[in-house]
Amino acid sequence: MKRREFIKKATLTSAGALIAPYILPSGRLFAPTGTQIAPHVVLVMYAGGIRNQETVDQLYLSQSQHTWNPIPALNVTGNIMPNMLAGAAPASKIVYGTGTSGNTPIAPILSTPMQSQGVLFKEVNAVAAGHYGGSIALLQGNTNLAQPLLERPKTPTVFEFLRKHGGYKATDAWFIGNSLQNSVPLYNHSSHEDYGAQYGANMFIPNVTFGNQGDQFLKDAKIYHPQNELSPMYKMKYFLDNSYASLTSNNVLDVVENTEAEKQQIKTFMKTMFQKKAAGTTIRPPQGGNDAATVGYALEVMKEFTPAVTVIKIDGPDVCHSDFTGYLRAIHAADHAMGYMWNYIQTQIPAMAGETIFIATPDCGRNLNPNPILDTENNFRAFDHSDANTRRVFTLMAGKTIGNEVDKATGPISSSSPLNTDAAITTGHILGIEQEMLNSGFLHPQSQSLIRKI
Amino acid sequence: MKNITTYSLLFLFALGLSNCKKETLEDKVFQVNKVKLYPSASSKIKEKSESQWVAVLYTNLFQQALSAGDIYRAGQCITSIGDKELAREVIISNFMNSTSPLPQIPTDASMRANIDEFVKETYERFLIRRPTEGEKEYFRNEITNDPLRSAEIVFFSFALSNEYLFY
Repeated sequence: MKRREFIKKATLTSAGALIAPYILPSGRLFAPTGTQIAPHVVLVMYAGGIRNQETVDQLYLSQSQHTWNPIPALNVTGNIMPNMLAGAAPASKIVYGTGTSGNTPIAPILSTPMQSQGVLFKEVNAVAAGHYGGSIALLQGNTNLAQPLLERPKTPTVFEFLRKHGGYKATDAWFIGNSLQNSVPLYNHSSHEDYGAQYGANMFIPNVTFGNQGDQFLKDAKIYHPQNELSPMYKMKYFLDNSYASLTSNNVLDVVENTEAEKQQIKTFMKTMFQKKAAGTTIRPPQGGNDAATVGYALEVMKEFTPAVTVIKIDGPDVCHSDFTGYLRAIHAADHAMGYMWNYIQTQIPAMAGETIFIATPDCGRNLNPNPILDTENNFRAFDHSDANTRRVFTLMAGKTIGNEVDKATGPISSSSPLNTDAAITTGHILGIEQEMLNSGFLHPQSQSLIRKI
Repeated sequence: MKNITTYSLLFLFALGLSNCKKETLEDKVFQVNKVKLYPSASSKIKEKSESQWVAVLYTNLFQQALSAGDIYRAGQCITSIGDKELAREVIISNFMNSTSPLPQIPTDASMRANIDEFVKETYERFLIRRPTEGEKEYFRNEITNDPLRSAEIVFFSFALSNEYLFY
């Protein structure tokens, strides 16, 4: 052995001997410094660009349509989110519900709105004006101006922080998306070399996984015998992988590291979902379209895996680019889905009932002024998202240890306003890794857990 | 005399043309057997896209091509699942369960009748290369020592291997 080689090996051996006693059974090097506030967090990206005017300000048509078309019938205010927000519904010009012309609002599921159970941060600063930048900002706790579309987030997501620093297993972290569009399938982990897929979240895009595509290519999968068939199969696969790894250095693969037992649980879950779908018994809020189906499958995941963190992406209200009436209906339906979900967690998932904190915050807001498009049903003006009003969003929290508080952050958006990126550090704080996330250097410098702002 | 000279010159010119053929590789006789050349595993450095992987897998298993639309939809299935390896595993087992068309897998009896040939053909089918002696030995032992080891499970392990993701 050459002298240099000897020194290198001796150094590595000494370092290993020093470190080995401190490696925890979970494989992690250090225990998280924080304690859990609650064992489960459900974070909802609510819901594809929505204005504070139609949500927390409860201005309905008055500042969206009446401002530009000042007829008295449009000067209507009121709350169209009765499960999430406290406030009286609009008294006239009801178009946001179901039935003929949307004149029948969906009956609230929760007898006490979540705002009255928890706390509303009314004026929160959205750090990005677009859906992708906004959505991954909620997951990363930061925004990255150099982030292109159709690429993984460049800095670690909350999933990776939790799994790397909190020791959470892969099935503790789930992302449920509503579409393959707009980079949504890239949300479950970053491309950061120190984090990445191995610490990523499990993910389903249910309208594809359990949709027509899934029916064709996933539904009829065999469930192999774990010992007699799968175990030898994996053994031979690992042999082939080791042979290949010994010959190449670019063996970087996009694999979330589920254990074999976790994989088996997920495959069995998928099989069950196809059976429930065929029988028409999948969980689903009674009203609503794809967003409702997405929330329903998220509840199926929660029921099966009781994850530490479940992030749900819905975006029905994004029809606002050309259909304001559809936007109002989608906000109302998304609120119905949230009410259904919160009630279901409390009544049908014993492991999460009373043990979960709910956080909802939009990826971005929408413009103050409309674009020239009028919708076909009511001639309502449509809104895009790019101006200062797009920065105005809210964050609603409820659940374990979150008592009812007067609204927070009620003043105009300023440099001291909470950020929507605070959702990430808040999630980390609830699950016991606040300090690790703050120390990482990847968060927005103003990021602070909203729990500390209550 | 002049005619004789002309004909002689023409004859020599024609003879020269016939002998002036460019020699090709096929004309040479090296007296060695023809062999098919395969790339080595180390030369596979490009990762297949999800659609490419599905298309190649389907062809390997069914010995026929999948339509472009089906390749796209199967690729979407992989995209929609967070654990890509799990997604691939489910798609492979879905194909293995197909009744029409049936996957083209040797019977377990034919596999055991000539294990070395089965291993060689499996490497060529999935990994486009010949197994090393060590690899042959490993699979020979695996199949010989486990009476329950089926050709389907061996095919499954190749289709799910990391090397199969690269070209």
